[in-house]
Amino acid sequence: MILQIKNLHKIYKNGTHALKGVSLDVKEGEFLVIIGLSGSGKSTLLRCINRLIEPTSGTINFLGKDITHISGEELRKVKSKIGMVFQQFNLIKRRSVLTNVIAGKLGSLKTLDSIFEKFSEDVYKEAYTSLETVGIADKARVRADSLSGGQQQRVAIARSLMQHPKLLLADEPVASLDPATSNSVMQYFEKINKELGTTVICNLHFLSLVRRYATRVIALKAGEIIYQGLPSDIDENWFRTIYGEEAEEVEIR
Amino acid sequence: MNNAPPEIQLHPVQMIEQDKKKKAKYNFLKAALLDIFLVFYSIIVVQRAIYYKFIIELRELPFSWSTIFVIFAISILIGIFWTSTKTSLSCRLFGIAKDNNVSRWTTEIFGWFLFNITFIAGWIVTKLSIVDLFSSEGIMGAQRIFGALFQPEMGIFDDSLFAIIETIYIALLATIISIPPTLLLSFFTARNLMKDNKLSFTIYYILRVILNFIRSIEPLIWAIIFSVWVGIGPYAEMIALLVHTIASNAKLYSEAIENIEEGPVEAISATGANKIQVVWYAIVPQIVLPFLSFTIYRWDINVRMATIIGLVGGGGIGTMLMQYQGLGRWHEVGLIVLMIAFVVWVMDYISAKIREAIY
Repeated sequence: MILQIKNLHKIYKNGTHALKGVSLDVKEGEFLVIIGLSGSGKSTLLRCINRLIEPTSGTINFLGKDITHISGEELRKVKSKIGMVFQQFNLIKRRSVLTNVIAGKLGSLKTLDSIFEKFSEDVYKEAYTSLETVGIADKARVRADSLSGGQQQRVAIARSLMQHPKLLLADEPVASLDPATSNSVMQYFEKINKELGTTVICNLHFLSLVRRYATRVIALKAGEIIYQGLPSDIDENWFRTIYGEEAEEVEIR
Repeated sequence: MNNAPPEIQLHPVQMIEQDKKKKAKYNFLKAALLDIFLVFYSIIVVQRAIYYKFIIELRELPFSWSTIFVIFAISILIGIFWTSTKTSLSCRLFGIAKDNNVSRWTTEIFGWFLFNITFIAGWIVTKLSIVDLFSSEGIMGAQRIFGALFQPEMGIFDDSLFAIIETIYIALLATIISIPPTLLLSFFTARNLMKDNKLSFTIYYILRVILNFIRSIEPLIWAIIFSVWVGIGPYAEMIALLVHTIASNAKLYSEAIENIEEGPVEAISATGANKIQVVWYAIVPQIVLPFLSFTIYRWDINVRMATIIGLVGGGGIGTMLMQYQGLGRWHEVGLIVLMIAFVVWVMDYISAKIREAIY
């Protein structure tokens, strides 16, 4: 068991009860997809896992260790083992692709070295390897904001690969991409999951992508888990329960 | 999934209720204080400015603490009574007024009343007089000055050119020296970086108060302070500009830090980077350009301010202007004013062009 979450609650300062007692286990090597409407608590859940957001109560076990209340150096160690990819890519826009990828390594670099950008040969090699994994090593020297959305997301994936993550979190990684690009970006997640054996937890909107890539699906509604199971088991009825009566499935290839 | 401890599920609701009650009490207190002040203000203005000075035209205003105290006591009574009826202006401001026609009327009438007495009192204090503006004596003086402006004395061109270059350099030095301390301060006065723990928030708060205080004192006043400290002259002028530049730009810089995109910060912290690395990788690249732009603009402002500080003896073109003005040599003054106008225009143009180019 790589991740165990028990009875997790998150209440924001404004009183929003975003997570209402979420419990879930994630096995090593899984490709877990979380679905649900906007505001159902998907992003909050992901951000609680790597403690970008402090959960209000409940416990999070990562690699057999309770990480709910750790802080400082210890927390940074854990964060450096969990990669994260965001909907808006969140690259450093004015820096080169290479610098962006190396930024993934910051957790294990000395502060002064990272400020003066004194990186060892190994770090550069590693950065090129990660860029090759996502197929854009030729763009290493260009500015990050000159790339297209899909390419930027691949840089973000390469950045998270620098962490050699045990767990990769992806918060709606394809929500701002077009359908064709979405599919290709998802294929890189699949590749990382299958070839490197990294556990992936991913928030998604499109059911067709879910069916294609997920090994297991969790559906959140108003901060509670209402469905757990195989992607193929989500039928019309479940779909309406998760997304509401008005919903209609959109096909994306 | 409903086996969560009950206190967690009740907690937010209760908290919100409690907050509301606390807020209502607090708002009432604030409204009462504001009402007392407003009533006190209106009585004082009406009595002293409008009645004494305007209606019975006293030259010397009578002043006694006991009258002020009596007025204050009366306003406390009226203020608290008015607030408790929930129809006052401040009740409406803090959202505790009853939504009825009475409170709407009282608010409107009292608002207009406050505006009018303030305007009238201002008029009386300024000694506004249309007669003076169009008296024949006044118009002749104006003609003399404007006439001289258009016939500048070119004999002092060398001297004034040298003086204005001095002014530009004073401004430039103040701007350059201000950069490192401003950079450092701006990170400690950015709310989003300092709000996480109590210690850093205290530092943030204290620094903000100090900087606000420094900024609220005009560079001209700083120049007077420093001319006593380091002796009158360009050095005092430069330090005065420097102090004010640091305080003002630290605010602009820190606001730029507060307005950055949060995404990269989140992404870099998620890699396990420490605070310094997050600042360097996620924040600094986003603020370099705004910082540069503020600094260049500040140089432009400093040139204008250095001229004004020169008026009290800081050196440069301002001092020269003051000397010739004291001698009543209007043609020389004309040349200096034209030169200042030209340089300010050029600086304005250049700084605008540079700021456009770097974005």
